[in-house]
Order: sequence, then C-alpha cells, then structure tokens
Amino acid sequence: MNNTIAINFLRFLGLVVVQGLVFKNVGNDWLQFPYLQIIVFPVFIMLLPLRTPRPLVTLLGFGIGLVIDFFYNTLGLHASAAVFTAYIRHFVLRLLEPRNGYNANYSPTAARMGIGWFLQYSSLLTILHLFFYFSVEAFTFVYIADILLKTVVSFAASMIFVMIYQLIFNPLD
Amino acid sequence: MLQLIQLFLRFSSLFVFLVLEIFCFLMVVKYNQRQSDVYLNTVNQFTGFLDEKTSQVYHYFRLYDENVRLARENARLFERLTNAGIRDTSLQDSVFDDKQQLQYLFMPAKVVKNSTNSNHNYLILDKGEKDGVVPNSGVVTEHGVVGIVRKVSKNYCVAMSILHRQTKISARIRNKGFFGPLTWKSTDAWMFDLEDIPKHAPVAKADTVETSGYSRLFPKGIMIGTIEKLSMEPGSNFFSITVRSHQDMSNLQHVYIVKNLLAKEQEQIEEAVLQEDE
Repeated sequence: MNNTIAINFLRFLGLVVVQGLVFKNVGNDWLQFPYLQIIVFPVFIMLLPLRTPRPLVTLLGFGIGLVIDFFYNTLGLHASAAVFTAYIRHFVLRLLEPRNGYNANYSPTAARMGIGWFLQYSSLLTILHLFFYFSVEAFTFVYIADILLKTVVSFAASMIFVMIYQLIFNPLD
Repeated sequence: MLQLIQLFLRFSSLFVFLVLEIFCFLMVVKYNQRQSDVYLNTVNQFTGFLDEKTSQVYHYFRLYDENVRLARENARLFERLTNAGIRDTSLQDSVFDDKQQLQYLFMPAKVVKNSTNSNHNYLILDKGEKDGVVPNSGVVTEHGVVGIVRKVSKNYCVAMSILHRQTKISARIRNKGFFGPLTWKSTDAWMFDLEDIPKHAPVAKADTVETSGYSRLFPKGIMIGTIEKLSMEPGSNFFSITVRSHQDMSNLQHVYIVKNLLAKEQEQIEEAVLQEDE
C-alpha cells in the first residue's frame, strides 16, 4: 500500500521533471515545429492503481496538470486536459475490461495487463487527451483541421515515449 | 436531504470533474492571452447581439419620451430660424449687427381631436391657458400651416383648421413678393385658393406659396404649398390660383403653436391709425 503511494509519488515527480524540463522544449525550441508536442505526463493518470476512487483520480489529474502548467506558463490549459483524461479513464477502463474483470489491487500497467492491452489503453487516453488539449489551446473549433493535425502528429511522437517508458521500466505498479 | 447527499455521492466524480474543469477554464481565460482573446471575442459577439436586441426593445418603450423630446427640439429649432425673429438693430447704423430678437415662440402640442370632413373643421390641441396659449395664435407643422387658435381653456385650446370656410391666411409667392389671402373653397382637403394676385405678376405653375408674415399669426416664409392650377378670368384683374397644400390634414399628430411676442404692439399701433382715419 505504502509502496504504491511512494511509486506513484516518484512517478509524479519524474514525469513532471521530464515533461516540464525536457519535452516542453522539443516542439517549440528545438524543432521549431509547434505541431509536434510530446506529452507523456498523462502516463501518471493512466498508471494510477485501479482501486483509486474516481474523484481522487480526477483530483490527482488536476494536480499534475496544474504543476505542468507552471512549467509551460499556461495556467489551466494542461490542467483542464488532465482533468478530462482522469475523468474518462474510468470509461476507457470499462470499455477495455477483460472477460474476467480487473484485479482491483493492480495498476493497469503493461506488465500486469499485457503489452497489447496497454497499447490500446494508452493510445485511447493519449489521443483523447491530446485532442482535448489542442482544442482548449485553440479555444475554438474554427481551426478544427489544425487541431486534428496537431493531435495526430503529437500522438505518434508521444506514444513512442509512453511505450518506451513501459518497456524500460516495466513497472508492476 | 439524504437523497440529495446520496445523489451527490453517486455522481461525486462527475461533480469533481465539472468543478475542476470549470475552474481550469476560468484560469485558462484569465491567465492566457490568446485564449482570453478568443473568449472575449466570442462573448462579445453574443452579448453584442443580445444588447442590440434589448436596446431595440428598450427604445421601443422609450418612443413616447423620445417624441416629446424631439418635438421640443423642433420647437427650439423653429425659434432659431431667421423668420422667427426680428433684427433689433436698424440698418441705418454703420455697424451691422446680425443679432436677432426672438419674435415667435413655438410650443409643441398634440392633436387631441381633428376633423376634415365638414365645411367648418376644428382641431383640439392639448395645450391651454396653463401653458401660455393665447387666442389668435397660429398652428403649424414642419410641412405647413394647420390653423389658428380661437378659444383657450385651462388645458386645451380649439383651433380653427385651415379647412374652414372662414379661415384666411395671408400668403405670398416665394421670392416674388405678391401676396393675397389664402382660403379654402373647394371640397378637397389638399386644394386651396389664393386670391388677389394681380395679372401682371410673373407667376407660374409649381411656384411655392408661403406665409407672408403680414398677419401677426405666422412668421413669414412658412411653406404652404405649390401652385397647381393657374387661370385668368375674363374681365378680372386677378389670377385665380389653386394651391396644392403640402400638409396632410388627415393624419396630424404633432403640431406647434406659434406665439407672436410682438402681436399686441402691432395690433395697438394698427388700431390707433385706423381710429385716427375714421
């Protein structure tokens, strides 16, 4: 129990540092290509233990989104997307529920659920997160083509790192 | 109450989600330049539309006040016209001063009752003694002459319409100076007769007829109408002229009562001369 909290806390810190100090600069400063945004911090939301109460998941999503916003200097933008992702996590989990159900003590990781399942799960959440994020960033659906292009490009880039994280660390919780 | 709490617990994650999302959007709009621009622009379009609609409704209900205000404004403008005043310096003086002294006051009034279908038509106006109306005041609109005030009560006054067989208005032909009384002899509310224009006058059809200013009732130069028909009776020294009025007498609503401030003086001096001659 304490172990799970510690792991998630460390994951929180690690993702914030990686996202806020490294990946933040990729699209904007290094490549000068704003269509490509590598966003991996939703992994924290994805990997929260299955027994976490849903309101708490939403609150934790808000927390990490807000911290990321401090790094990006876009107060509320990442937070709104993270809250959205945290809220729909439950529905995505229900959609992908295996025939014999979940073990409530596990976290939905690749090691526990299988790499194929995790790919589906993380893809769905990532693409929804990115779409919501770019919609809020544009703050209008007038530029829907732009929003979709950004979502697709960033999705491909982000998924690479999400999967790499699973393959390298292969966390159980 | 218990059910309410149960409901809240059941949808607690939805509530948390909505509250946080609203909070996030408030922050987005408040602290991000681009998003707040988009937001303000959209909101302005919407509220602008609403504001326009509500102000239309609001203006509709304000129409009465607005009419009163405009009538007062018109009266004030009438008084500023040159033909409403007299010069208080004579031209003998080498220094020419264009300053005017007000001679005619215009008071906005509403028509309470009006008729056009008899031989002796009268108007009742909603201004009376308490507003300072005196008998023998002219009644005009921006289109022309309407009538002459005959009797004044406390709140109302009765004006003899120009559609009255005994009404005589001193009229002249604009820019030509020939003048004569304008009377109503036809049965058509638009047609009037102008008499006493001598045969040698260079009058033509469509000439403008206006008040002459000789009658103490109206300032000079108030439009009456245009010459519709012009004929010469054999053996007569005068034209018989039919004038088409510009004033529709059948839909009058706002009129102005003209008060000549110098009427008494003019009347007194005229009578003095007449008495001397007798």
